[in-house]
Amino acid sequence: MLWEVRVSYKRGVQDSEGESTLKGLKALGFGGVEGVSTAKVYLIKGNCSRGDVEEICRRLLANPVSQDYTIRGIEGEDE
Amino acid sequence: MNFCILRAPGTNCDGETARALEELGCGAEVVHLKRLLDGRVDILGYSGLVIPGGFSYGDHIRSGAIVGRVLSHALGERLSRFVDEGRPVLGICNGFQVLAEAGLLPGFEGTSRFPEMALSKNASSHFEDRWVHLRAGESSCPFTKGMPPVLRMPVAHGEGRVVLPPGGLERLEANGQVALRYALGSGEPAGGRYPENPNGSAGDIAGITNPQGNVLGLMPHPERAFLRILYPDWTRTGGEGYGDGYLLLRNMVEYVRRL
Amino acid sequence: MSSPPARLTVPLRSLGEDELLRTSRERQLSLSREEMGTIRDHFRAAGREPTDVELETFAQTWSEHCIHKTFKGRIELDGEVIELFRDTIAGVTSKLRLPWCFSVFEDNAGLVDFEGEMALAFKVETHNHPSAVEPFGGAATGVGGVIRDILGVWGEPIANTDVLCFGPLDLPYEELPPGVKHPRFIHSYVVAGIGAYGNNMGIPTVNGAIYFDRSYVGNPLVFCGTLGLVPKAKYARDVKPGDAVLLVGGKTGRDGVHGVTFASAELHERSEEVSATAVQIGDPIEEEKIKRGILRVRELGLGSAITDLGGGGLSSAVGEMAHRAGLGALVHLERVPLKYPGMRPWEVWISESQERMLLAVPKANLDRVMEHFAEEEVEATPIGEFVPGKRLRVLYRGEEVADLDLAFLFRGCPMVARKAKWKPPRLEEPSFPMDKDLGGDLLRILGSPNVASREGVIRTYDHEVRAATILKPIHGYGPGDAAVLRPLYDSWKGAVLSNGLNPEYGKIDPYWMAASAVDEAVRNNTAVGGRRIALLDNFCFGNPERPEVLGQLVRAAKGCSDTALAHGTPFISGKDSLYNESPLGPVTPTLLISALGIIPDVRRAVSMDLKGPGHRLYVLGTTRDELGGSHYYKIKGHTGKNVPRVYPDEARELFEALIKAMDMGLVRACHDLSEGGLGVAAAEMAFAGSVGLELDLGKVPLAGRMREDKVFFSESNSRLLVEVREEDSPEFEAALRGHSVASIGKTVDDKELVVKKGKKTLLKAGLDALRDAWEASL
Repeated sequence: MLWEVRVSYKRGVQDSEGESTLKGLKALGFGGVEGVSTAKVYLIKGNCSRGDVEEICRRLLANPVSQDYTIRGIEGEDE
Repeated sequence: MNFCILRAPGTNCDGETARALEELGCGAEVVHLKRLLDGRVDILGYSGLVIPGGFSYGDHIRSGAIVGRVLSHALGERLSRFVDEGRPVLGICNGFQVLAEAGLLPGFEGTSRFPEMALSKNASSHFEDRWVHLRAGESSCPFTKGMPPVLRMPVAHGEGRVVLPPGGLERLEANGQVALRYALGSGEPAGGRYPENPNGSAGDIAGITNPQGNVLGLMPHPERAFLRILYPDWTRTGGEGYGDGYLLLRNMVEYVRRL
Repeated sequence: MSSPPARLTVPLRSLGEDELLRTSRERQLSLSREEMGTIRDHFRAAGREPTDVELETFAQTWSEHCIHKTFKGRIELDGEVIELFRDTIAGVTSKLRLPWCFSVFEDNAGLVDFEGEMALAFKVETHNHPSAVEPFGGAATGVGGVIRDILGVWGEPIANTDVLCFGPLDLPYEELPPGVKHPRFIHSYVVAGIGAYGNNMGIPTVNGAIYFDRSYVGNPLVFCGTLGLVPKAKYARDVKPGDAVLLVGGKTGRDGVHGVTFASAELHERSEEVSATAVQIGDPIEEEKIKRGILRVRELGLGSAITDLGGGGLSSAVGEMAHRAGLGALVHLERVPLKYPGMRPWEVWISESQERMLLAVPKANLDRVMEHFAEEEVEATPIGEFVPGKRLRVLYRGEEVADLDLAFLFRGCPMVARKAKWKPPRLEEPSFPMDKDLGGDLLRILGSPNVASREGVIRTYDHEVRAATILKPIHGYGPGDAAVLRPLYDSWKGAVLSNGLNPEYGKIDPYWMAASAVDEAVRNNTAVGGRRIALLDNFCFGNPERPEVLGQLVRAAKGCSDTALAHGTPFISGKDSLYNESPLGPVTPTLLISALGIIPDVRRAVSMDLKGPGHRLYVLGTTRDELGGSHYYKIKGHTGKNVPRVYPDEARELFEALIKAMDMGLVRACHDLSEGGLGVAAAEMAFAGSVGLELDLGKVPLAGRMREDKVFFSESNSRLLVEVREEDSPEFEAALRGHSVASIGKTVDDKELVVKKGKKTLLKAGLDALRDAWEASL
């Protein structure tokens, strides 16, 4: 099975990388860009259920104080 | 007295940290994480634990996350006992990140299963090495007691911005858990001003202690302010004798002597 | 599906010269017609065709990068034939015969005595082409590579230095040639890559420079240096037959296959596509683990030799190690741990995958060595052994894929013979009126890209990890001349690192450019109290097959050697990077001189910030009408002709007298005069210390009459500014008696810089305004 986990900053937590990217894009003349936020994507392959991946996020991939995560089955999810 | 200086792949301030403790007359043994995990070494055999700076596991996922989560998973119970017995735990820079990820700090209700705070990317979004002013004295932590009103130490990190859950800052303040704050040269809190507050930390927080006061995590590096000759302006202010980092580490050693 | 056999031969014996050259091109060997012919004749005599593995080995070992053909070849200039390396750089060191030079030009780094049984190892490398194509990875692996050079002499890396040359950051996008990345992009990613590697490994980046010039637009220069500490008794170089060939570190992939030959070819528009495998990603955490393992093996004395896997990968490292020991080697290539299947034997053999080292280990110690690496979670694999005889044999699953004569491999490369041409450019001294107020010009120079503050970059590098950086890159809030380190916990003895770089002078005369670089590096070192100085040279020039480029190179090699000899400062290691060309042409002739000095007691180190009011300010050295290539001319739109020269007999004794005064505790602050001359140096000292300064230009020792603006901005070499307390001034003057030295002003309470000539005020500026101008750029 292949799972995609996406970890991003919680609303209200400063995303400084996103902010500097926005500044950079404005400097390059992309005036239409209004906001940039960043996220990390992990692809997890192996014999694990959605519940397992949920636990993986809680236990390691996301810090619950500052980060949210979403899980998406890419292939082989039985639901 | 024997301190465990914990290292994992990517830890890189263990040498100077151990050296500073040795100069204070204690044993300082640099111990690889795997030796704690495979049971060759027992953390309860040490009088204190120091987690030094560096980039453990390349700071992947989040700074300190892998070591912190692995510590809490594999040694959670023994670490809780270590802390409950009042033994000192000091996390410097990456070590602070490890303590936060391991749930040892802020430790509102003892060690937590999941992190209760985060050390997020600096507001500047890049790594930064600079000397800062610090103010101690608000907390119950014995390591920061009896210090001069304004301390100087360097910070060198890319992820040091304290992020707390709603109400977290108030709770830290009410519990007397704010051990160090970034300050102006006058000793006033930095008020979020850059570069005095180098990373945008909530409440200008540079260091946090647990409610009991025996666990301290701080972003600044006391081992790099151990001697006056390491100060960035010693050629004008004098290079003789010990610096503010010495005071903090000495307090920790004396705390163990009193235990 | 059947895979091709391991052993493939390349028919060369019947080929004519043109076909040989075509084969070289098609296989990306970068070997010349003559070199291919030599290889063909060698195999004709051997009565067989070479294998692909053998041919690739020649291409690596005989590349400019590995063998330095130009520096070791014969060059004719104006009827005179010289061998550059032997007659210039190495000549200085052998003439000086200094007992403290422990190992020079022999190993991965130069080694000099330090304290007791400890030596210091120093090496500077370039990583230009990879940084042009992928700035972050190129710069990071540049740092990783030079750190491995230090590990490769059993050294513990203790500090990094980085000197970077870029195109102007404000270059209009439309002037950017196709396939070339904007200097702003290259700058920010190179800086990030350097910081990422050094910071992650816990090695402080303590010294450096950033230089901007249009000629670097298509071909940035990235010089990476590392200083290391080596206990001399642990410097093992004693391979015996039967010792294992141990490969340590990361797995091997196609990374950098043809990286060496790439570095020796000019960059062109399609570089980005064709060279993808020449670019590599670094893993500093892997290297940190390797470092720990190596230091443990060193401490226990379990290895008999070590080297890094750099250019040419295994093909260079194994052969070199065997050759130096007067032995041969047998390698089983299939034992090399791979990143992925499907690699051809020759690819494994020449791969430049990062974070790998090669050790020779006596069989009796092998298990223990492997255990120590396993403890650090580092893979260590015995891939063969050293054997008697002087042949390098490579097997792949039992089948012989190479059998080479090491003597031919290392000595058979035909010596290059080239013609060089040098014609001084036609230049003239400009004439323009002097501004009544020199303040505007001073502010412009302080804010100009090559002078302005580098604080924004410096702070992204950890410059104080290890808690041993005594003079930091920004010390006392100004730009330090040199870094001072305290390498040992139980000694106050210090190591002093500085550099000199003056590409602008190279546009007028590479001889004086190089002479100035030596003088600047030595002067910077002296300014903080460094002495007993050793030098490293790094030449970055264009294609040496062009006679005019080669002429510049010869001029530069002579300039730096004559000056180094006069200063009594030996070269201990060096590197040349040639073929630095892009569609925009060759880079400006660039020579970086890195200097390593010592200071007996770091507590006596002198910083550049003024310490307090009521002190005297002295200028040391003679100011001449030498503004060719100066910043002052540059902001006025001129290059000029009177390039700064070096009068080294004056300089050496002057520097020695200054060191004596420092050791007597008479010097409160000291700063070298370089870009922007007296004006910039005085301003920097004043705002760094937040102490005002009043100067009288009429008191500056001159060689002949000069206009005030020229006195203020001349860039004559061998000059320094020194702050001395009033009560110490008689003793100071006595210590400097007989030298060109004059008290030219005093420090004052008012926070401003005032410059006069007699009664006439030429400049009056607040320290904040000066500082703001200096901090505004970048």
